[in-house]
Amino acid sequence: MLPAAGEPAAGDSWGMLACLCTVLWHLPAVPALNRTGDPGPGPSIQKTYDLTRYLEHQLRSLAGTYLNYLGPPFNEPDFNPPRLGAETLPRATVNLDVWRSLNDRLRLTQNYEAYSHLLCYLRGLNRQAATAELRRSLAHFCTSLQGLLGSIAGVMAALGYPLPQPLPGTEPTWTPGPAHSDFLQKMDDFWLLKELQTWLWRSAKDFNRLKKKMQPPAAAVTLHLEAHGF
Amino acid sequence: MTAGGRAHPRSAGGTYWAPARGPRFCCPVFAPPPGFHGALSDSLLDGASGLKLHLEWQVMAVPVPWACCAVLAAAAAVVYAQRHSPQETPHVQYERLGSDVTLPCGTANWDAAVTWRVNGTDLAPDLLNGSQLVLRGLELGHSGLYACFHRDSWHLRHQVLLNVGLPPREPVLSCRSNTYPKGFYCSWHLPSPTYIPNTFNVTVLHGSKIMVCEKDPALKNRCHIRYMHLFSTVKYKVSISVSNALGHNTTAITFDEFTIVKPDPPENVVARPVPSNPRRLEVTWQTPSTWPDPESFPLKFFLRYRPLILDQWQHVELSDGTAHTITDAYAGKEYIIQVAAKDNEIGTWSDWSVAAHATPWTEEPRHLTTEAQAPETTASTTSSLAPPPTTKICDPGELGSGGGPSAPFFISVLVTLALAAAAAAAGSLLI
Repeated sequence: MLPAAGEPAAGDSWGMLACLCTVLWHLPAVPALNRTGDPGPGPSIQKTYDLTRYLEHQLRSLAGTYLNYLGPPFNEPDFNPPRLGAETLPRATVNLDVWRSLNDRLRLTQNYEAYSHLLCYLRGLNRQAATAELRRSLAHFCTSLQGLLGSIAGVMAALGYPLPQPLPGTEPTWTPGPAHSDFLQKMDDFWLLKELQTWLWRSAKDFNRLKKKMQPPAAAVTLHLEAHGF
Repeated sequence: MTAGGRAHPRSAGGTYWAPARGPRFCCPVFAPPPGFHGALSDSLLDGASGLKLHLEWQVMAVPVPWACCAVLAAAAAVVYAQRHSPQETPHVQYERLGSDVTLPCGTANWDAAVTWRVNGTDLAPDLLNGSQLVLRGLELGHSGLYACFHRDSWHLRHQVLLNVGLPPREPVLSCRSNTYPKGFYCSWHLPSPTYIPNTFNVTVLHGSKIMVCEKDPALKNRCHIRYMHLFSTVKYKVSISVSNALGHNTTAITFDEFTIVKPDPPENVVARPVPSNPRRLEVTWQTPSTWPDPESFPLKFFLRYRPLILDQWQHVELSDGTAHTITDAYAGKEYIIQVAAKDNEIGTWSDWSVAAHATPWTEEPRHLTTEAQAPETTASTTSSLAPPPTTKICDPGELGSGGGPSAPFFISVLVTLALAAAAAAAGSLLI
């Protein structure tokens, strides 16, 4: 994607983004796994749940700052645009019955894939006009989000599920339109932050559900303690 | 061929054709001669175009169904009344409060001689403009049935049912989800009355999709929407339009799925004293029954309590469980306790629950008269039943101790009082 002479390197940045995302996608996340005295996936599910809450809290201030930087109408509370464009963003919305009946593996996989995509896009949110402070906040958030991904990977490994590998052709690339205007770019940013926030709410509920299912029966716990007490 | 069992034995009849879908005739077609004896049954010959009702007689007495005849007579009376009056029903008219209205007497000429009455009471002729009734500065009391009569013949010429009211102001609309993730409801009301009937029309849009809002079976200003999708980034827009004969108005609200979540308050809040623990109260409650899925959508709780005699609340936030033990209650004081609920991650706190009252356990007062009068027990046996010289409940020296007041304890009482005051001051600083 060669930029036309004299134009700002918009196409170039999308190309780099696509390249970067492809590279990141192929990097397997290191599972944060502690196999000594394996207490089951319970504690790591709790940790993942806590991370989603922490991230959601962090995102609230980050999104507020970023939307103010984008300016009106993006920072208006009643802003209710139609969902056009940004089709490649992973959507948290799901049919109620489908969500209820997701099996554990699918539930975890959807979370993992969603955050991988979102992290990728978020890293590309490094706009030329962004202030240094915004860039710092974004970088910090990306690091935390990377931690969440690692935590989810840890849970999946503890449960014996393989990490999802991307099929060729489904990599998160973002092909820009013929004239990806400044306003449309801002719209994409808006939807990215909105989707991120919604995913964090959804993940909290997902991990709640997993937590309840994984709760070990009381008898098993006491046996475990007694065995160590010789 | 007889189809069914026996029909009413008192109905009489003969054989006749009735249309297949027509009403069953309850009235006798032929009056039977008295004393005629027979059996009544229906028979169905061919179903193609009609029923052949094959009725036979079974009568014990003169079989005139009075109900049927009464209906016929009433119908005849209505027809007669209609023939002799100019209009069947009064003309219904709505007018705005404070306005002026001129009521013409139907099709009568302006100079016709008429009298107006309202609800049967004559109206003064100075309100008339020819044959028209003029009402100025309409008030609610002006509503009623106005009738104009030909002055000489008292022939009723025209009737108007006048309703004085107001056009609707902007309605107040709010939506809430107390059954997340099942759905939410919206309710509305008018900020001020219109005094005339209003109709409301609610539309719910999710992005560009129209959703159905089902009317509440009990409340007429509420409707319910079921969530089809969860975790949506697209806002919901609910609009309501209200209209009546004098005008209309609309309003709309837009919101995200998460912002309207507000559970109902916890139920069955019970507070109990803990035996042998004068500073404890055990509080238990239940998750609201309207919350459909506390497993996947757990609630957290907020508990507040204070002794009735103080205004400051103590607060405790609990992330799970439906029980809590208060350990810093003032001994012997009655407490008021309330609990609120919230989804762990989204939405707002519920209203406070119904209050529970409880007083911490206190030791039974010992009868000191038996000790003090020990050397004199021979005097009377009823002294053990006399009440103790001081009331124990109000004694601040009771904090933690069960002893009674007597001279050697007086100083410790003072010290305890001072400590209690210091503790209360520290507690209020921490709140």
